[in-house]
Order: sequence, then C-alpha cells, then structure tokens
Amino acid sequence: MKEEECRVAANTNIQGRYYLMKIESEYISEKSDPGNFVMIAVSGSNDPLLKRPFGIFKIDSPYFYIYYEVVGRGSKLMASKKEGDRVMVVGPLGNAFPKYENENMLFVGGGRGIAPLYFAIEKYSGSNNISLIYGGRSKDDLLFTEELKQFPLNEAAFYTDDGSGFKKGLVTTDIKEIIERNGINVTFSCGPDKMFESLNEEIGSLGIRNFVSLEAFMGCGFGICYSCVVKGSDGKYKKVCSDGPVFRMEEIKWQT
Amino acid sequence: MADLTADLGFIKLKNPVIPASGTFGYGGEFLQFFDLDLLGAFVMKGVYTDERGGNEPPRIWETPSGLLNSIGLAGPGAEGLKKIIKDVASKTSTPIIVNVCGGTDEEYLEVARVLDVMKEVAMLELNISCPNVRAGGSCPAQNSSDTKRVVKLVKENTKKPLIVKLSPNVSNISSIACSAEEAGADAISVVNTFLGLALDIEKRKPVFKNFFAGLSGPAIKPLALKIVWEVANAVSIPVIGIGGIMTGRDVLEFILAGASAVQTGTVNIVEPTGSVRIINETRELMDKLKINKLEEIRGCLEI
Repeated sequence: MKEEECRVAANTNIQGRYYLMKIESEYISEKSDPGNFVMIAVSGSNDPLLKRPFGIFKIDSPYFYIYYEVVGRGSKLMASKKEGDRVMVVGPLGNAFPKYENENMLFVGGGRGIAPLYFAIEKYSGSNNISLIYGGRSKDDLLFTEELKQFPLNEAAFYTDDGSGFKKGLVTTDIKEIIERNGINVTFSCGPDKMFESLNEEIGSLGIRNFVSLEAFMGCGFGICYSCVVKGSDGKYKKVCSDGPVFRMEEIKWQT
Repeated sequence: MADLTADLGFIKLKNPVIPASGTFGYGGEFLQFFDLDLLGAFVMKGVYTDERGGNEPPRIWETPSGLLNSIGLAGPGAEGLKKIIKDVASKTSTPIIVNVCGGTDEEYLEVARVLDVMKEVAMLELNISCPNVRAGGSCPAQNSSDTKRVVKLVKENTKKPLIVKLSPNVSNISSIACSAEEAGADAISVVNTFLGLALDIEKRKPVFKNFFAGLSGPAIKPLALKIVWEVANAVSIPVIGIGGIMTGRDVLEFILAGASAVQTGTVNIVEPTGSVRIINETRELMDKLKINKLEEIRGCLEI
C-alpha cells in the first residue's frame, strides 16, 4: 500500500444519491483484489480531517472505480469532485476475499454493498460457478443490475424492500432454495449490518463457508488508530480495516 | 541546508519530529510507507502490564478540524510488546520511545521495569495523562502530589531517560510540570488530548460510552502552543510540544514557543506519510527564513 496523489478521471452521478468515481492509479489498479478498499481525502484541507474509506468496485488499469452513496458530509464532498481534480489516496487497504477455483459460490449484496462483489464477480466468474442475490430499499437503490446480468452467472435474484422494479423481499427471502439449487458451498456478502444479522440467522449454521465484508467508520484505515473495531466471537475486538474488512461469518459476534 | 538536530540534553535527535503515542501504532505499520530512519524518534502506543482490549465502540468522532477519541489504550501488554519492539528495532536505528501506562503506581513500575532492561528502548514516556481509561477522565497528571509520587517512583527504578506526558485538563499546568521536574523527569511532553464531549441529540445521549473523550488535531494547536509556552518558561528540562501539528510551520512555532522537539499525532492517522512531509517542510522553511539551527529560535519569542 502507499499514499499517493491521484487524478480523478471521472465522477458520474448515476442516479439519485449514487455516484461512480474513476480514479487514475497504476499502483492501486494493479495491486488490488476484491474486498480491498482505499482511503480518500475528501476535502484537501483540515476539515473534515479524516480520509473516508471506499471499497473498490472495478478495475480497468490504470484506473480503479469507486461506487458510493452520498450519505454524509464526506461523501457529499466526494460528489463535488470534478474530472481533473487531484485527491490523496491511501491504498489498497485491508484483506481481500479468498481466491477460489471451481466452486459453487453465492454473492449476496445489499445496496451499495454490491461494490466489492461487482469486482469479485468480474474477477472470479470465469473460474467459478457464481450465483448472485442483490437487494435494496427500492429500484432506485439497486444499480448495475443490467451490467451484472452480462456476467456468466448461474442464477441472479434481485429484490427490493418495497417491491419496486423487482421481486418484493429481502436478500434472505429465497436464499436457502438458491443455495440448495446451485449446490453453494461458499458465500461472499457485503451490505448493512442488519443484512449480516439476518444472513447469519439464515445461513450461519448450514456448514458452508461464509465470508462477510464489513463497513465501518474508520480513522486511519491501516490498523494504527484502533477505532473501527467490532467484537469477535472470541470476545476480542477486531479491526475492520486491517484484520478485515473480510471476515469469516463465525468470527464476528452478531447481535442476534 | 539547515541543521535539524534536536538536542534534548540526554539524547540528540536527527530532527525534532517524533510521532506520538497512539497515533503511530508500534512503528512497524509505517514501514510500508517510509523508512523509519527519517524520523527524529517515535513513540510506541501506550502499554500496560497486561493485554487490554480497549473501550467499547464508538471510539472516534470527527469534529471541525479535530478528532475526539476514546480508544482506551488497547494493546498487547508489556511482555507481549517486547517481541514487537525487537522486531521493529531490527528495521530501524531511530530511537524508540515506549509510552508507559498504569492503573496503579505498582503497574507503572512493573511496566517500566520490563522495558528498562531492553536495549532497544531508548527512552520511556510516562503516560500519567490518558483521559480515556478512568472514570470522568481522571489521571495522576491532574495534581502535583500524584504526579510527583508516580514520576519519582518510576524514575528511581529505571536507567532510561524519562519523559513525562502531561494533561492539559488542569488549572495550573506549570506547577504540575515543576512537580514532575522536581521528581526527576528528564523531559516534559505537553499536551495529551483535551477532554471533550460529543452528544447525540436524537438519542439524547453522549456519543462515547466513557462520556468524555480526548480532542486532538489542528483544532487544539493554539491551546497546546499556549501550554508549551507556559511550561517551557516554568521548567529547565526540555519540553516536547504536542498538539495539532500538521505542517513544518507548526513545528517551528512550537520551537519558538520553547519546545526542544515536537510530537506529531493526528496527522499520522489522516496522512500516513505526514510526519515525513512535515520534516521536509521544516527544513525548507528554516532555509527560507535563514534559520541554521533550531536553537537559534527556541524560546526566542520577541515580546
């Protein structure tokens, strides 16, 4: 990993609060694996002070892409960046999803949590049989469904909480049937904490290998400030940034 | 080219920039970003005798140009730290300072004894000022008698130079600094974080489980600079200035206020190569202002 000043090659408002930023960095685009993230200085000043973490969505060397939702001050500043602007970036950070070959895999994405999974599908769909479950609040929160369908997927199921555009339901609605139908033995998931809680309840004890990529408010992003911790099932705190963001589902102490 | 040597009397550092405890991990985490030999020295994250998990999240909160933290000194314990120290020391010749914590006098002593026998440790920094481990942010650095007692006890039981890190959350820091000096401190580092409070108006609750948290970052720089000025005028031992340093200009301001060296804190979290940038900026600014040595301006405020 390193810290470098990078050029914003594009920053596109895809729809509503969702943006796609294309950033030029030969180093990050060559060193990154699905699950890795970067820290980006959103202000270029002391306020806000902290860099913000963003999962890597796609690589097209020498560019990498960040898919983000405007939710607060930091992401709002991100959205104001223009092509040609320069941003300080630290990366690639964190661990990555494990590499598999010839496995029947299921990827489960909730909302903007699709970001690292998109990268994983792009990279691993040629060497594994991948199925996808992707859910969001409404059709306006479920982006890239057409692009995702272009990949060689065994099965792709889309859901919205309110039933707009896609089947009404949650990512867990048909998950057991999908796992059984496709002989799934590995899952990768990324989304809000609530989604992980229900996933853990539904599939945590099926005896398959489940990996989750967590999101957290971070200080440094590389393991020195000890602020982005989650409680592990062993009772010890784990740093999302440097012990993760990818964990085995059973490593985390879930609320339910 | 300007000479950046920082003379603390008991040790000469190649430059005055020392990443501060709690903002630099154990040093090794930064090897992927730069050569630790570039630094004047660095302070390892504070350590107790036993392993500690730290405080229940949330642990940080962003404020305008600042950062509130309530990490709670998570760490491996003194024995566990020994291996980490040896490993990092094999990769750099820069002096290693270890931040010594304690819940009791005995614990301070025990940690200091474990580290005292390690040749890889150049100095100890006595942390009597962490606001995040005791109820209400209390700590020995809040009064002269506790400061004197703890400093004397540790100083009598270590051969290492002892830096004492003080708290800004007191009414008269100069008198506490004098107590540390009388008790045998070799240097004073000021300041630790300022106690602050973050509130959640929706839940009508404090953000942090520990209620108060420690404020750092550029927001505190003027407050820290005032304290460095006061303490440097009150004691005759070297003062290491800490508080919101983000640039080479900030470094020279602290030296002008009377500091012999500085510690960089929050900048290491937000910009991993920040301390190296600050060293370079300090040199460039000294050249520009025709300052040959830090001694030429240290405490030489024209008033």
